[in-house]
Amino acid sequence: MAEVIRAEQLTKSYGQNRGIIDVDFSVEGGEVFGYLGPNGAGKSTTIRLLLDLIRPTSGRLTLFGLDSRRKSVEIRRRLGYLPGDLRLYERMTGGDLLTYFGHLRGLDGLQRGRQLAERLDLDLGRQIKELSRGNRQKVGIVQAFMHEPDLLVLDEPTSGLDPLVQETFSELVAEATRRGGTIFLSSHVLSEVQHMADRVGLIREGRLDLVDSVENLRAAFTHVEATFAEPPPADAFAGVAGVERIEQDGNVVRFPFEGEIDPLLKALARFHVKALDVREADLEDVFLARYRGEAPNAS
Amino acid sequence: MLRNIALKGLRDIRRGFLWWSLGLAGFVALIVSVWPTVHSNPSLNKLAQDYPEALQAFLAFGGAVDYSSPAGYLGIELFSLMVPLLLLVAAIGTGAGAIAGEEERGTLELLLANPVSRTKVVLEKTAALVLEIAGLGLVLWLALWIGALLAKMDISAAHLAAATLMAVLLALAYGTIAILVGAATGKRTVAIGLTAAAAVAAYLVNGLAPLVHALEVPQKLSPFYHYAVSDPLRHGLSLTHIAVLVAIGGVATALAPYLFSRRDVAT
Repeated sequence: MAEVIRAEQLTKSYGQNRGIIDVDFSVEGGEVFGYLGPNGAGKSTTIRLLLDLIRPTSGRLTLFGLDSRRKSVEIRRRLGYLPGDLRLYERMTGGDLLTYFGHLRGLDGLQRGRQLAERLDLDLGRQIKELSRGNRQKVGIVQAFMHEPDLLVLDEPTSGLDPLVQETFSELVAEATRRGGTIFLSSHVLSEVQHMADRVGLIREGRLDLVDSVENLRAAFTHVEATFAEPPPADAFAGVAGVERIEQDGNVVRFPFEGEIDPLLKALARFHVKALDVREADLEDVFLARYRGEAPNAS
Repeated sequence: MLRNIALKGLRDIRRGFLWWSLGLAGFVALIVSVWPTVHSNPSLNKLAQDYPEALQAFLAFGGAVDYSSPAGYLGIELFSLMVPLLLLVAAIGTGAGAIAGEEERGTLELLLANPVSRTKVVLEKTAALVLEIAGLGLVLWLALWIGALLAKMDISAAHLAAATLMAVLLALAYGTIAILVGAATGKRTVAIGLTAAAAVAAYLVNGLAPLVHALEVPQKLSPFYHYAVSDPLRHGLSLTHIAVLVAIGGVATALAPYLFSRRDVAT
């Protein structure tokens, strides 16, 4: 499928605040792209550039092949947006807000919005100022999804949602991609991204560090847990290629592992192994291994 | 009322509009109800005409200070200060809130996620301002007209409408400037502060010009000069002065989308 987002050397610098520097990535139609990073790394800056709320200092950004700035209105016609810091019209009801945005989008009616509200168990008749954080987030989700956009830009979408609603939300994302929609999903919750995204990009201090598929990232790392008959010496595996951040707890040794497994097995076999567990790493393990504790997980 | 940005803007101020209307009408009723007393007391007029020239310039609306005619009386009591003041407060408040207010509350981000250009947002918000102030003008004119009939004031509905129209245009000139400053800076307090300061300065320049020779030229630049100088309560409308006030609003309205479209929207 065609490219939906393309950023080339995209840079945004602010006065003192860090923006983003030379960011390059592309998102294909139909995929869920997870955009990860610690708070303040540049996730929202990138998203606000996609929406044309702010303008690049240099570089190029196209959506649907259209220039993010000059063709912004056309782009936004095909886009649904859920801001990370969601602010709604306090004195409107959820239904009023959907009606208003429905008119601005030229929608025929609100059937789709009402359906979504029902699935999320959201009361559209209540004033937004009376709604809890979770229910406000639901209003945000409904307004982003109700016109069935080709591209959904979702900034920390599940914040404030209870687990049951998070499940419904994942379903909505899955349905959107089945329709051919593309999702740009920013989050600092790795488990959530792992669960939904096809590919991830990791942004740190304004620079995009890594873009890869979730599958590759996880396959590159395994999580090893070996139980020995008696505690091995503290530095027994320190020299083995691909082994880092060893945790030893009596007879049990744990570490993330990257690379060829044969040298590791031989190193382990020098001692009396009682049990060995080798499993695919979580994204979290991957990032912990790569960034030695600077992982983007803040929660 | 949710069909577009302009109507939504009017919907947002609907309660405020009601209170402004009641306030304006009540104020007019109060002033008009005192007219019979003032009218039957010629000494008041004599007293006013003995005021220092500086004070007279501030008191009068266009023509000379005169408590003996309805036009003179309404000019002094309503149109020289209170009516423009009230309409300006309403217009600057709405204007500053149009872009900057919504930006500070954070709702602009979501509004601009819709397929609407920034130019359209500014122009529709301006349309809402025009409708609001025109609506207040209509209320004011109706209150004046009915009040004048009841108090048996000898003044035509057309002349009352002329003065009201000038006040509406003056308020819109400043209201659109407040939209402009808000659209350019995103800061509501800056929009209110700068616009109000500009209005006070223009008011003083116009009022002091008869006394201070150096202000004669700057006076012609003051919107308050064009608002009052044709003496609308006695002589009706003057196209030149209408054109100046409309031009100020027009320039502000043309610049606002340009400056708004060029800048980043605040988080």
